[in-house]
Amino acid sequence: MSRASQWIAIVVVAVLALLPFVPGAVDAYYFSFLFFVFLYAVMAQSWNLVAGYGGQISLGSHAFFGLGAYTTAILWSGNYLWGSLYDSHPNIYYFDPVTMLLGGLVAAIAAVVIGLPLLSKLHGDYFALGTLGFGEIVKVIFVNGGDFTGGAFGIVAPASSFGTLRPHYWVGLGLMVATALAIRMLMRSRYGLALIAVRDDEMAASANGIDTLKVKVAAFAGSAFIAGVAGSLYTFYIFHVGPDSVFDLDWMLLPLMMTVVGGTGTILGPILGALVMYAVFDLARIVVPDYHPVISGLTIILAMLFLPKGMMRLSRKARVAGA
Amino acid sequence: MQADETLLRLEAVKKRFGGLVVLNNIDIVVGPNELIGLIGPNGAGKSTLFNVITAIYAPTEGRVSFRGKDITGIAPHRIARLGIARTFQLVRTFLTMTAFENVMVGAVYGAGARVKHATETANAALELVGLTARRDMRTAHMTLSDRRMLEIARAVASDPALLLLDEPMAGLNPTEIQRMVDVIRRVRCEKGISMLWVEHKVDAIMKVCSRVIVLDHGEKIADGTPRDVTQNRKVIEAYLGEPAA
Repeated sequence: MSRASQWIAIVVVAVLALLPFVPGAVDAYYFSFLFFVFLYAVMAQSWNLVAGYGGQISLGSHAFFGLGAYTTAILWSGNYLWGSLYDSHPNIYYFDPVTMLLGGLVAAIAAVVIGLPLLSKLHGDYFALGTLGFGEIVKVIFVNGGDFTGGAFGIVAPASSFGTLRPHYWVGLGLMVATALAIRMLMRSRYGLALIAVRDDEMAASANGIDTLKVKVAAFAGSAFIAGVAGSLYTFYIFHVGPDSVFDLDWMLLPLMMTVVGGTGTILGPILGALVMYAVFDLARIVVPDYHPVISGLTIILAMLFLPKGMMRLSRKARVAGA
Repeated sequence: MQADETLLRLEAVKKRFGGLVVLNNIDIVVGPNELIGLIGPNGAGKSTLFNVITAIYAPTEGRVSFRGKDITGIAPHRIARLGIARTFQLVRTFLTMTAFENVMVGAVYGAGARVKHATETANAALELVGLTARRDMRTAHMTLSDRRMLEIARAVASDPALLLLDEPMAGLNPTEIQRMVDVIRRVRCEKGISMLWVEHKVDAIMKVCSRVIVLDHGEKIADGTPRDVTQNRKVIEAYLGEPAA
């Protein structure tokens, strides 16, 4: 990234961060719109890490998102973390960083447990199907989890904490920026070199001393951690965590499409993709409510036809042609 | 003393795919700073032998040891870290990376596994094979001969004691072949790396190698100086067929 675009990024983030101070902004429609763009951008970044940079097409993002959401809801509603402090501070779980990190951690541990057998035995399409199956298994487990998971209905967290959407907005923005920066740093480290090597040619990577299984499982777990934290954030917005809402396939499919449209294997692609695709989905939902899936589907087909490598790659191509 | 001298030792290595015996009872010893040619007609088992040494296949029977340590069946990345590097018959470079990044993988993760001087090591390896000018070019845009050179640079950057070359001249024109011969000589003289070199261009092998091993139908039929090997009756038969009665 050039110096100029770095400054542009800083200014855009600063403007977004100050937006809630504009009178009336919090009540405007686009405020919640932006919150969802941030949330989806984090999910897209999560998928991009394992699939875009790592080359392992995972179709289990929704499972990790749901695990993070459920972890948060269970810790909160059962008060497993803060004990008597909860009585004196009734909002202690609301955006609690420890709770959110635990949401990510549970998802990451699940990814290691399932990733070790899947990634050592399955490649390509078969790995993708394996992760899809894993997602379904997790959902069934939570539906049948009895009182602990609230069964088919799920868990309701105390919505009395809710006062304004401002904290959601800021935390979402912060997460989006933090994941982008973290992945950028990671990809410039020696681990990033290994991840690209494994994506490009697994056999050559191991012949050069790279423990390919370790590298792939680490990417899968890192991706799951990010999705888990995003799920945790979503709990603070929706309050009711149920198997049909947080384990919905959309939490995997939409970030996947956003990343592909924005540009897989790039840092800004998932963010740009989340913004553009969510705008298209939302606009279609408002303008032509009866046909909105058609419009969304058409957009994806057109994007695949004319931007096969995503919007970020298009701008790179233009730069190369111009140079 | 003898255990220190020997780099690679194959003892009675056998590899069977179903009913087909691809390698039968192979014994090979590679010492330090040796350049050994490995030749044989198509299907003789040359590539399979490489894949057994680098643990892509496990041998059906027999033992592979490196510097006196049994390495039969350990993970490929651990073999690389012990000091055995290789190139591939169908070139395997990291296509989305630049030439420099490719070589960095070897420098950072190979037997040297040095993070501190990785950049210097990588640049020196590119210099050795004459790719300094292509340092920041993406591999996908490079010619076949440059990619073959890059594979060797990546292997050299990993600081191996033994380098396995799998047909590095396949698909190269005469000028490029001469360049490759020069590079292989430099790798041996300047780096002191032992090499086991599979090649179909027998004349190149005979000119450059100190020792030649011949495989035919999975058996080792000759092992000696180029002069000995070219006069070996079994070798002549394997390449030209048996003389008419």
